[in-house]
Amino acid sequence: MLYRRQNTYKIYQIIIVILGLILTSPFAKICVAKEKLIISAIPDQNPEKLNRLYSTLADELSNNLQIKVIYKPVINYQAAVSAFRTGSLDLVWFGGLTGVQARIQRPGSIVIAQRDIDSKFHSIFIANHKSGIKPISNLNGLKVLKGKRFTFGSESSTSGRLMPQHYLTKAKLKLSDFKGGVAGFSGSHDATIALVKSGSYDSGVLNEQVWEERLAQGRVDLKKVYPIWRTPPYVDYHWLAQPNLDKHLGKGFTRKLTNTFLSYDKSNPRQKIILELFGARSFVKAYAYQYEAIEDIGRKLGKIR
Amino acid sequence: MAVIIGNLHLGGLNTLFRFFISSFTPSLNSQVLQSAWNGLQVTFGFAILAWSLSLFLGVLLGLLGSYNLCSFFNISPVIATVIRRTLTVPRAIHEVLWGLLILQICGLSPWIALVAMTIPYTAHMARVFSEQIDNISLKELIAIKLTGSRNLESLITAITPKIIPIIATFGFYRLECAVRGATLLGIFGLGGIGTELQLSLMSLQFNQMWTSLWMLFISLFLLEKAIEWIQQPKFYINNTGVYTITFISSLIFSILISLLLLNYLGINFFEGLHFTPIHPPNFYRFIEAFKSLNWVQLILDTLILTFVASCIAIGLPPLIFMNVHSNIGQGIVSIILILLRLMPAPLVIILLLLSTTPSTSVVALALGLQNLGVLGRILRDNINKQGDQLFNSVLSTGATNSNAWLYGRFIQESISYLSYSIYRTDIILRETIVVGAVGGVGLGWQLQESLSSFAWEEVILISIVFVCITLIGESINEQMQKALLGIKRTNQFSMLKI
Amino acid sequence: MNSLIELNNVSLYNKSGIRLKGINISINCGEKIALIGSSGAGKTTLLKLANGTIFPTHGEVRFNGLSISKLTHKQRLKIGTLWQDLRLIEELSVCQNINAGALGRHNVTWSIANLITGININECSKYLRAANLPVSFLGRNIRDLSSGQKQRVAISRLLIQRPEIILADEPLSNLDQFLANKILNTLLSVNTDSTINTAKTCIISVHQLDVLQNFTRVIGIRSGQVVIDCDTTDLKDIDLRNLYN
Repeated sequence: MLYRRQNTYKIYQIIIVILGLILTSPFAKICVAKEKLIISAIPDQNPEKLNRLYSTLADELSNNLQIKVIYKPVINYQAAVSAFRTGSLDLVWFGGLTGVQARIQRPGSIVIAQRDIDSKFHSIFIANHKSGIKPISNLNGLKVLKGKRFTFGSESSTSGRLMPQHYLTKAKLKLSDFKGGVAGFSGSHDATIALVKSGSYDSGVLNEQVWEERLAQGRVDLKKVYPIWRTPPYVDYHWLAQPNLDKHLGKGFTRKLTNTFLSYDKSNPRQKIILELFGARSFVKAYAYQYEAIEDIGRKLGKIR
Repeated sequence: MAVIIGNLHLGGLNTLFRFFISSFTPSLNSQVLQSAWNGLQVTFGFAILAWSLSLFLGVLLGLLGSYNLCSFFNISPVIATVIRRTLTVPRAIHEVLWGLLILQICGLSPWIALVAMTIPYTAHMARVFSEQIDNISLKELIAIKLTGSRNLESLITAITPKIIPIIATFGFYRLECAVRGATLLGIFGLGGIGTELQLSLMSLQFNQMWTSLWMLFISLFLLEKAIEWIQQPKFYINNTGVYTITFISSLIFSILISLLLLNYLGINFFEGLHFTPIHPPNFYRFIEAFKSLNWVQLILDTLILTFVASCIAIGLPPLIFMNVHSNIGQGIVSIILILLRLMPAPLVIILLLLSTTPSTSVVALALGLQNLGVLGRILRDNINKQGDQLFNSVLSTGATNSNAWLYGRFIQESISYLSYSIYRTDIILRETIVVGAVGGVGLGWQLQESLSSFAWEEVILISIVFVCITLIGESINEQMQKALLGIKRTNQFSMLKI
Repeated sequence: MNSLIELNNVSLYNKSGIRLKGINISINCGEKIALIGSSGAGKTTLLKLANGTIFPTHGEVRFNGLSISKLTHKQRLKIGTLWQDLRLIEELSVCQNINAGALGRHNVTWSIANLITGININECSKYLRAANLPVSFLGRNIRDLSSGQKQRVAISRLLIQRPEIILADEPLSNLDQFLANKILNTLLSVNTDSTINTAKTCIISVHQLDVLQNFTRVIGIRSGQVVIDCDTTDLKDIDLRNLYN
């Protein structure tokens, strides 16, 4: 009897140890030294493309920099900014507005690079064929949108909201001038195309790059939805890095990182894929001062406080 | 509804058609499948963790917040009231906002996602449980107590068998909500199937969207069947103790499995905590924020939106069940209900907008439809739980199927259905945050806008308004319940002053 | 000081008016009391006052000289109640329900064990048999029983409590003549096997007047007032007629 009891006691001990191991195993990795770069992006792509893009990019960066690179897909614009602020993300692909918001909240952050197309980025206003809106030649022509149903893309988008709203304001058009007293927010560039095409909205505005891509893919029916105006150029997306990367990952790391991006070239097959998925020919150097105009506009429209 | 029919147009039929056709040709690209599968596992892992945590805390707070038990233990009901009122704060604030708030302070870390999900879920469960516990008749408890047994033993014997069915219906159904609510994980860079869905929605990649939708559909369908099986009264009647113990041990087991699974998928809890204090909000900017918003319009819009959506969500399920009797019909209804629950509200809004012009009613319809899926399910579950005697006896009087359903089945459940519907309006109110597409409608939209501008003062003010609306709604609801069940409640009280 | 339950000038008012008025009853140890009166006269209310479920608006109820509201659970164990609505826990089995009557003599672990499996089978079977139900009923669910069977389960629960006084509200209502007599005998601890020691004292509300001779004392209530309170032998037909008119 006593023997049996001791035996069961032993079994209990073993079970407790196993349970303890299972419970603590998730935390076991905490102790591993931090020699890694965490990258993220505010994604406006489909998941399949994102997976290809960022797994390739993480591999390539890790190869170039000889460091572990982890991609964390933060899908919410505000969350990406906040996570950058708290230092949880080292390198983030931000839009114009979100990048400025992030830099204000994390002073000293370093603008690393942008795509060749980002220094002269455009938004494009589109209209439904039934709306009777004719293509316009200059900014003041935007007045034809008065009394029409109009939609932006997502609230935090530079090309789908901030800059278009800036030009609308310049043309002395208030958001309350649209039909229904408000402008819609379709949530994404593709949704803007679909909703204007269907006629739910008479007109909308989106990222020119997306528009060109969809045209090339044959997914836009120009008889039903056509461009009416292209905005003047402005700067948009860019890579933004934490101010303290040199300290954590070795002196000159930020410089090395910038150079890596600048060196990406279509002759390298993997880099070619990356550039193609980014819709760019190459990455170019970007500077914080390029985004001052965006900051001003953001402040004027209340998107930067 | 009428407004929507009036605004119908055919412009988007093409896209709508493409959406439905795509359901037959989901993307089978290996990367899409792989990431959706991974996403599904992550989602389920987190859903189970958040759900079990919130179930545990919810039952605990629910017991503390019930007037019945307070009076039983001779504690002043003020404590129950305080607990209930305090719980409105976590409930009135959307989990996304909780997520963003904690993220602001603590940085990206998997356990924060868990906390952000658990906070509103716990509060919601606590409310449902405390009110359901208050609806339990205390006669048996009093009888047991009067045999001379102490409080704890009486409670265990008389109340556990009555709470278990409540947990079995509402508790399990929340697991499904947790799976659907796991889109929040995207905020923390954890992926999950909700994130896949949201991304493919943003790019209107219907084929890829259907890959996730089908996967989610199949897993939720299986989950629902499994839950239906577990919920069978035959398991817990006569068997409360074994059921409870099996339940608790399987809960612990699934928590362990989820932890292991998430670990395997590369998610380490407690990694990457970066505590970063935030600037204290500025009083001057509060006043500025207060002045800058058109509160009356915003609140009015929100209330109308919530009201219309609630009407759709609450009113339709009884009508549907009343008129569908054949087995095939019921099967179809239950599939439609799953689909309604499955589709994220933004997706429904876009689909609706494809053939209507934007208006508040579109948003209300989208919100209403999703919640209709939920309420319909609850009603069906509850009705399936009851016996057939009353229904058959009404039927035998020569009543039509519809009437027999109404008198024989619905009447028995009407009070608990209505009281659950009222909790649901809270959720609908909270979900008005997703109405961006139509633009400028209500507080929810303004909250998104303020969040994206990092205008924390506005965010705080709007959240306070949300809390206030919820509080007012709750006390009105309690007054109504008191009027309905008042006599019963007072009787129980006087019996309890032992 | 040998009166077990005392109702001193007890009145009860509620929203719908006066339920009981000026009741003075003193029940001594060993008395077998029949409580009679037409429906709605206040029999149930009186029993609820006596067991402390409700409290009087005026007057006081004492058990063993102590105010009924201040009893400890040990003292409460001595009062057994058979409710008119039985108050069985529908979700539990017969055995678990019977054990629920014995909770006062056991601890928490026991009550949890009772929920998990049927325990205390021997004692349960004994009391189940005393209430004229076969032992095979132990595992059955309350919902599957007929009302007469439920009534007998409730009686088993009452008996397992081993109370000193039984307050039974119409225990015979759902039973046929034969069973009614047997159950009544059990409650009044006549002709039962000696291992079951039922209470020496009981108050039982009944509708059947032909059983009155089994009791020692009769209390009749009409419109909330005691109109008959005498030994069974002194009961007059005229009083009975008055009571029901």
